[in-house]
Amino acid sequence: MRYKWKTGMWAFVLHRATGLGLAIYLLMHINVVSSLHNPESFDQVMAFLSQPLFRILELGLLFAVIYHSLNGVRVFLIDFFNMTKSHAKIFWVLAVIGCVIFVLGAYPMLHHAGIL
Amino acid sequence: MKKTYKIFRFDPEKDKKGRYDTFDVETAKGDTVLDALIEIKAHHDGTLAFRKSCRHGICGSCAMQINGQNMLACETQVEFLKGNTITVDPLPGFKPIRDLAVDMDPFYEKLREILPYLIQADPSPTDKERIQDPVDFKKIEVAISCILCGSCTSSCPSFWADKGYLGPAALVKSYRYEFDTRDSGFHDRLQRLDNKHGLWRCHTIMNCNDACPKHIFPTEGISHLKRKVVEEKY
Repeated sequence: MRYKWKTGMWAFVLHRATGLGLAIYLLMHINVVSSLHNPESFDQVMAFLSQPLFRILELGLLFAVIYHSLNGVRVFLIDFFNMTKSHAKIFWVLAVIGCVIFVLGAYPMLHHAGIL
Repeated sequence: MKKTYKIFRFDPEKDKKGRYDTFDVETAKGDTVLDALIEIKAHHDGTLAFRKSCRHGICGSCAMQINGQNMLACETQVEFLKGNTITVDPLPGFKPIRDLAVDMDPFYEKLREILPYLIQADPSPTDKERIQDPVDFKKIEVAISCILCGSCTSSCPSFWADKGYLGPAALVKSYRYEFDTRDSGFHDRLQRLDNKHGLWRCHTIMNCNDACPKHIFPTEGISHLKRKVVEEKY
């Protein structure tokens, strides 16, 4: 099936992908938290999670949370406030807002990790 | 203006899978993709199968996929299509019968499913016209202009994934009756709309709004229906 991808299609697929990513993250998060029974295991797990790979994954998590929640707002506006006709405009306005939030969130994260 | 037409071909008696044939066709300013198809059938390959009738965007027969988007071939002028090659496919999501003609039966079944007619609690005692206020008519005027071409339902990824989904066209039709002040069939239609193959399968992907040749915006109608169902139930 080939069909031209437009804003609505990208928005939907990204929404599903980030939703799935967040669900998987949540399971892993619960798993990690449930393994922290004493100071030793806490230090061990935290040392493991401070690897650069997890810093990058953390940025991915930040993106997923921001995208999924802001696109949720977009879907809410479409369904509850009859904004079907301006759905693409809403997408791009929220994209700009999302980028600002991402930078505001990513900077302290990277700064704390000693990268910036 | 000479352009190359890459056209989907499928002969159920010979082919297991579809293939593409290309034709170079000269068209004049103002000519449509349908004009080019008629030219191909007349002078290049008489076996090319496609549906057409009115040729001015009111019968809905010539809906097809042109350069990756659903539209009416008779309303799409060649000069406004970008590029030198124009790709023409049958409507996606439906079974191709032959070349550009698809089996529309599932589409009409969905339409019948939502009871697409006026339901009145108290039938008029006479055969007199059922008068409607122009202000009330305005609310459903756009939805009434649907020509049942199938462009919207065929462009919907939810419909591709779930062939049981009513699809935007049937939902626009139910909007048209649900918001008709003379209709009182809401409870007859409620069960048919409020299920996992009904309203809630719409994920606001928006392909249908771009595909509709009558600029109906099915998603808007579906949103109205969603709210009406929620208000009724909660």
